[in-house]
Amino acid sequence: MATKKLRRAKLSQELCERLSRYQITTCQDFLCLSLLELMKVTGESYRNVQKLLRKVSLACAPKMQTAYEMKVRRSINPSAAFLPTSLHSLDKVLHGGIPCGSLTELTSPPGCGKTQFCITMSVLATLPVSMGGLDGAVIYIDTESAFSAERLIEIAGNRFPTYFDSDEKLFCMTRSIHLYRELTCDSVLKRIKSLEEEIISKKIKLIIIDSVASVVRKEFDTKLQGNLAERSNFLARGASLLKYVAEEFSIPVILTNQITTSLSNGLAIPADLVSPAHDLSLSEGASGSGKKESACVTAALGNTWSHSVNTRLILQYHDLLTRQIVIAKSPVAPFSTFFYTVEKSGLVLQDGKNLSNLPWEGTNPALQTIQVRNTALGNALLKTTDETPGDTPSP
Amino acid sequence: MQRDVGSLPLSPALRARLLAAGFQTAQELLETGPCGLSKEIGISREEALEALQVVRQECAGDAAKTAGGSGSTRKCTALELLEEEQTQGFIITFCSALDNILGGGVQLTKITEICGAPGVGKTQLCMQLAVDVQIPECFGGVAGEAVFIDTEGSFMVDRAADIATACVRHCQLIAEAHQEEDHLQALETFSLESILSHIYYFRCRDYIELLAQVYLLPDFLSEHSKVRLVVIDGIAFPFRHDFEDLSLRTRLLNGLAQQLIIIANDHKSAVVLTNQMTTRFGQNQSMLVPALGESWGHAATVRLIFHWDNTQRLATLYKSPSQKESTIPYNITDKGDQNHSWYSRDLQIPALTSGLPRCAASTCHPKCRRY
Repeated sequence: MATKKLRRAKLSQELCERLSRYQITTCQDFLCLSLLELMKVTGESYRNVQKLLRKVSLACAPKMQTAYEMKVRRSINPSAAFLPTSLHSLDKVLHGGIPCGSLTELTSPPGCGKTQFCITMSVLATLPVSMGGLDGAVIYIDTESAFSAERLIEIAGNRFPTYFDSDEKLFCMTRSIHLYRELTCDSVLKRIKSLEEEIISKKIKLIIIDSVASVVRKEFDTKLQGNLAERSNFLARGASLLKYVAEEFSIPVILTNQITTSLSNGLAIPADLVSPAHDLSLSEGASGSGKKESACVTAALGNTWSHSVNTRLILQYHDLLTRQIVIAKSPVAPFSTFFYTVEKSGLVLQDGKNLSNLPWEGTNPALQTIQVRNTALGNALLKTTDETPGDTPSP
Repeated sequence: MQRDVGSLPLSPALRARLLAAGFQTAQELLETGPCGLSKEIGISREEALEALQVVRQECAGDAAKTAGGSGSTRKCTALELLEEEQTQGFIITFCSALDNILGGGVQLTKITEICGAPGVGKTQLCMQLAVDVQIPECFGGVAGEAVFIDTEGSFMVDRAADIATACVRHCQLIAEAHQEEDHLQALETFSLESILSHIYYFRCRDYIELLAQVYLLPDFLSEHSKVRLVVIDGIAFPFRHDFEDLSLRTRLLNGLAQQLIIIANDHKSAVVLTNQMTTRFGQNQSMLVPALGESWGHAATVRLIFHWDNTQRLATLYKSPSQKESTIPYNITDKGDQNHSWYSRDLQIPALTSGLPRCAASTCHPKCRRY
């Protein structure tokens, strides 16, 4: 909209020519000038310039809709509003599943099950609507080369054995998952820009980027000056492009993120004491004096990124076998946790130990601490030696 | 009438010609007439007529101003302002503690800014306000409509519908307790459909669309004169990326702030903006501060900061011309922002305490400003 040429904003031909002599060709250039500058450039009186501003604004401004119209549109097509994850308790709390038209982020320490979750969602998106899928193709942008086609077939075969009973159906499903391997930030951004055309031509119903953090952290070293701003710029641009695509086509977008260590008293640690991927995000000083350096593990990519995503799910370790899904940020769901394990058929919820109906007290999604394997292992070892039913390790 | 030609809002080329021809005051122009003007300057008669009409309008405006009539500037005594302020309505938030620290609720004709970390409840409060502005007057509301400008895409219709349903139910409870004619009458038109149809939603994808929309807002508000609330959810998001020229950003933001102040005053509506938090690196520490820089802090009249204290959400009144700085705890339930109690302005039931101690401004200063 910003790059709309003034010609298309219904300004007269001679006015457009006159403006182009001052290098003002798009609506963006026009609206960024002050009234006096516009008067000088167009040679019109004050009132006429205001009329012109209104004309150009009409060309750029979004259309109005009332909330009621939006609701009616949604209720006509309720199944298109969510992609159920087939983890029933999770879907119930999320009011249906992964929401369409917004960004969902999945954060976890390595090896917790992010890629497994993404592979499962790809299978689900290809299923017909009657089975809870979206009956469409999937774009999977893989930056870590972690996608395994064999695992895809294993999950599909074990999770829906009655549906995928023939090789034919499996091949049909795998044909609709389009995999792109991108290894640099630039190529990821280029790929995101090209998404609009691909979605229309291939009838895409789900976009997965696994993972955003790995390319960003490879290229932007926050130790170096200026890199933090560049990184935020890249992330914000990517986020707004993805949001545009998600809303325009009403499809879900799943992104995965990594973890980082954040030091709680907020001291800017000199770079050599800290790993290159250190994120100087702040968390509440637990102790009054604030002098103790209690490090905690949180989602990476900083504060601005936490603002950009609409839903944040955290996967973390609980003990040696079970893990937890935490809903850390969601506009429709309260904080909740669910236990799960990773099996042949993908992620399976442990309904017995479920705390799903109790809203769990959460905290700032940007600073939500995440349990990594070491803590879980440590606690597990303690448990076996003490022989006490250990209390749930505080997150 | 003695107004200098150089100060008239004519096009610059015409102004230059008039000055070159020796015209000095507006009086001279009016005396010459369109035909004489066109011959002397060398412009067409229609152009001359247009210029004279502009001059005449300007002079009429000036005369009205000097005579003390209603021009574009308002003049009144502080007593008149006091009477106006006292009869003005507030938009309640249904969280009694929040309303208390704000002095009754979100004020009309003022800009309120809500800053906060991600996921703390800014959009929830905006949706709550968009519903609460529509509460009929007999229940203590302002009976207005709402404009919701969304830049981040976080407006969820289902959630707004939940909040609206809870609000309608609350009003029904009050009506049952009171059994008054006007209450029941008002309830007939106050339903889920009517609430949602009076929330005008605009989705702006970048800062140009936002600027364009704000330029068009005065016309829209003149057409929909019942609008009493303009929400811009996410004023920071479109301005935080793709801006190499920071001085342009400051200029655009200042222009935006001025236009919003004019809109708030002329149309007697409240303007609510939400802002993000950003990390600022100091000498030995980093703090979370509201985004968009220091100069943006001057734009809003009232500033609320939402933040976390472990697992409790807190709201701090950071800047206000009339209320004291304080912090209160609040929660988000499935009915919207609440403070553990329902309360009604008609029934004058004092709010129950929330169980957590309210921190006094003096002790919470160092903690609330730096996180």
